[in-house]
Amino acid sequence: MEPLQAKLVSMCLISQHKLEKILSLCGDKSDLIIDSALIKPLERICGVTWLRQHGVEKIYKMDPQLGPTVNIIKVYFIPACIQKYKCVLDHISSQLSQKPSLADLNCFNIIIVPKVLHTYDSILESRGMHGVVKLHSFSWELMSLDDRLLSLELPFLFKQLYVEQNLSLLSSISMSLWSLFHVTGRPKCVMSLGKLSSSVLDILEIYNETYSRDFVKNYSSDEIDTLVLIDRNQDYASSLLTPATYSGLLSEIFNISCGHLDLNVKETKYKKGKLNFTADAEDTSKKVTMTLDSSIDNLYGEIKHRHFSEVLSVLSSKAKLLKNEDIKALGIQEIKHFVTTKLQQVTLFKQNLVNHVLACETIISEMNNKFENITFTESEMLNNRNKKSNYSFVDENFGTDIHMYNSLRLMCLLSLTQGLSYDEYNTLVNKYLLAFGYKFLYIFNNLINAGLLVQPSSPKLSLNISNLSGLSDRLPRWQNSFQSLASKLKQLPSQADNSKTSPSYVFNGGYIPLIAIVCNALLTSESLSEALTKLSVLNDLKLGGSILDNTKEGMETLNEKLSNLKLQNSELDFGCRDAKTLQKLLKTDPKLTSAFSLKTKSVLVYVIGGVTYAEVAACNVIQTATGSKIYVASDCIASGCDFMAANT
Amino acid sequence: MDDDDYWNTSETKAKAFSFDDDVLSPQEILAIGQRSYSGSKEEGVLSSNISSVKPAHIPLSSLVSPKILDLMVLAQSGNDPAKETKQEPEETVAITLKRLVLGRRCSLHVHRSLKSKTELLDGAIAIGDGNAILTVVLFLIQTLNRKVVYELLSSRPAALGHYISTLQSEGKISELTDFLTMLGRSPDSAIYQFQHAVKNQGNNLESLLRKMSNLLANHFNQPGVDAHQTKMVADYVKLLEWQNFAKKTELNNKSALQCLAYCCSFHWTEGAGNMMSPLTLCQRQQISPLQYDWVVLNVHANSNKWDIVESLFTKKDWFGRTTVSSHIPIETLLSRLSELKASERMLASCVNKIAGTEDRLRLAQKYKIHSVVIETLAKQKDRAALTNYKMTLNPQSEEYIYAENTLRDSSIKWKN
Repeated sequence: MEPLQAKLVSMCLISQHKLEKILSLCGDKSDLIIDSALIKPLERICGVTWLRQHGVEKIYKMDPQLGPTVNIIKVYFIPACIQKYKCVLDHISSQLSQKPSLADLNCFNIIIVPKVLHTYDSILESRGMHGVVKLHSFSWELMSLDDRLLSLELPFLFKQLYVEQNLSLLSSISMSLWSLFHVTGRPKCVMSLGKLSSSVLDILEIYNETYSRDFVKNYSSDEIDTLVLIDRNQDYASSLLTPATYSGLLSEIFNISCGHLDLNVKETKYKKGKLNFTADAEDTSKKVTMTLDSSIDNLYGEIKHRHFSEVLSVLSSKAKLLKNEDIKALGIQEIKHFVTTKLQQVTLFKQNLVNHVLACETIISEMNNKFENITFTESEMLNNRNKKSNYSFVDENFGTDIHMYNSLRLMCLLSLTQGLSYDEYNTLVNKYLLAFGYKFLYIFNNLINAGLLVQPSSPKLSLNISNLSGLSDRLPRWQNSFQSLASKLKQLPSQADNSKTSPSYVFNGGYIPLIAIVCNALLTSESLSEALTKLSVLNDLKLGGSILDNTKEGMETLNEKLSNLKLQNSELDFGCRDAKTLQKLLKTDPKLTSAFSLKTKSVLVYVIGGVTYAEVAACNVIQTATGSKIYVASDCIASGCDFMAANT
Repeated sequence: MDDDDYWNTSETKAKAFSFDDDVLSPQEILAIGQRSYSGSKEEGVLSSNISSVKPAHIPLSSLVSPKILDLMVLAQSGNDPAKETKQEPEETVAITLKRLVLGRRCSLHVHRSLKSKTELLDGAIAIGDGNAILTVVLFLIQTLNRKVVYELLSSRPAALGHYISTLQSEGKISELTDFLTMLGRSPDSAIYQFQHAVKNQGNNLESLLRKMSNLLANHFNQPGVDAHQTKMVADYVKLLEWQNFAKKTELNNKSALQCLAYCCSFHWTEGAGNMMSPLTLCQRQQISPLQYDWVVLNVHANSNKWDIVESLFTKKDWFGRTTVSSHIPIETLLSRLSELKASERMLASCVNKIAGTEDRLRLAQKYKIHSVVIETLAKQKDRAALTNYKMTLNPQSEEYIYAENTLRDSSIKWKN
């Protein structure tokens, strides 16, 4: 394992240390009452034995109906979700009402991941439980799920940040970066794309300013030159499209949490989202879990990024090798040798092989008939071709084999790429509500708020425009903003130019994810200046990092920044500054010359709001082609379904 | 395998889901994978260790220095560093905001002038930390009168959004309604109330019906509310009324199509006009013919009532041949029929509906409708293709014999 990867894997020890400090404040002999969503992430940080060694006697799953537990000291362990928090408070209240003396024992603790929000304090106070219940923030570190793949494993962030537009937990991203850079060193150049990303950098700078002055010398990193932070809504297409890679399709069909795939071949995400016309059979099959980590499962490492059409042939060639080994006649000594050295490996390999084949079979049986038609239609939408037949494809899908989430994805993609008229929009909404219930009417409002869906104006309002639309049809090849930006960034490969080294294979040749474009621009340019020129169509680009350190006039503290803040809604520019303005300054300010001559050889790209396996695979292509290193990080690894489910 | 090889072997990727002939079938691979080894009785013991193969960690002390580790714990806790317990002499707006972002304890009440309150709000928005924004907003609400607060918030969408989001997630729905009404955003208020109601009412018909009727009468009829949205809520009320009539608890708050599926299963023969008849429900909720066909097909096929499916979706034409007639597009119908394991006869009459010979042949092969493949090839007089196809069939099977007989048919003038 390369040194940096080893460090990243070991960051769980920092999380462990942080948890240890919290548990030591809670006291000895406690009951840990854990929310089920946190079990898998916690397993990555510590085991049951470790918990026992640190004062936890019993472990319970949090449930509103949970009866009395054994020990006096209770440690609740929940994610920062207000409903779950209230549920815990109710649970504590009911214990207090049965036994009021507990209030003085200082025995109630709630650990909240990733942090305690101010509103939680107020709620506690308003319920009269201040001083009775102690709240602890637990900000665990980025988890290394696979080679060069990091995740904060906070799957509820997309919903909060984009659907509810509540940025209360945004600082957790800053904190994760702040910690990470203590391990890896600080990248010389920092780039942000999107509003949330630039806020993350501003908050990060506040952490730096507060904690660095005393004794921490933050060295600059040799292993990560550039950090790219990007908002999920800068590239929704990549989160909506159907992936063609093996790992991408795994996440379409199976539930994956914390890098562990639940190999449930009967109740797949595909089946669960559809209308069910048969009586449910109780699923009694044994639970099989696959760990999606190439350092544990080499075979997965070999196939994870491949186009799905190749995967079975790789698996079959592996099986043939195994078969050949099998027929070798072994002597007694050889058997002994085999058993002691290779048997475990071979057994593990066989088990992995079987699991991957089962997964492949499931993918084929669920998607075989649909995959080609869907990816074809998606590609037509991206290129703004045949709007009518694309719409009728979506309309037919809504009328027949409708899926709770996947059908919405198609609707959103069509809306973002080619637009939906008022009537088309309402026809789809009506079909969806007939199928799943009128109660889901609010989903569409949430999708609109998140920017995943564009609400067409009602015909009354658009009367004047409709007169003009006849004109615009006659204009040469009308493009909407999606296509014009995507084609300027060369995200839409033309069919003639479908070279095999194109990262677009992750979406069956249809589209190159934005993060791959940005990484490619950075890694193939001789200087930052050149990279910025390539990316000049991106409007929200900002720069920061140590390359700009000597451009600051004197010490610019937060205090000064804030007092200079005059207009409403103006940018703070504390942790980063507008790239275009800096480029203009370059001509007059020689101090910037060295900053803009930086050549990037390694990138950490951090997507705020979830990254997909297809995007990771696309970055892998860039990494190979440029002989560089790309680390991908996010708050979670999500699939298209997950982005839709966040709106329910 | 290195990367060059990877790209060299990726020719197949353009054609998704197509596999070489040379490739072992999944069953074959599984058979090899599951075959046990000689002397592998310990397999069970070993496999229990398999998932616990974990990479070795670098010791914590060489990852970060102890001082930094302390700093990380401090930052997580939001406590003040031990040596800085004394309060800062002056609480400026910047100091307060910084403490808010760091999660440290701070008293907002020193900021009493409207000017510093406004600066706090704008500063928090500029930094973009939602926790700080929300703390300031709640402080403003505590200390300023409503009119002043609303004026401040209405010109700051970020602050407004955070406040709405909090009211919503805390379930303070009447406060949210008042607030939005005051801002002249009643359409938003209607849908927020709707969302709150459906998420909290459960499936109790009585209360849902009351709540929805009330929302429809008092909030969705406001000017500015989208007409289609209002219609959807009205349709919801209609469906709830129907469910109230049906008195089947398992149907409470189920979707229209789920109710339709129920009616198809248990009230199939009841005629239009009867409340429980599928046709009545269809008209009442304006279920499209396509969706109706889809539900009927799935319900009856799943309960093995193929006679009903056939009588509904096929009809005899002038020549006495059966043809398929449905609102479901033919390829989709074919794919679904195949998934539902329809008879070959049914599949054949479905695929025969496809006019283009090439398409028909392709689909017949895809869904293994042998009779159609054989007939189509015979019509094309393509002996070579038919001979090849025969080889893929099971010898002695009905379709094999049919293919053989067709090949021997002297009335066909083969082209090859």
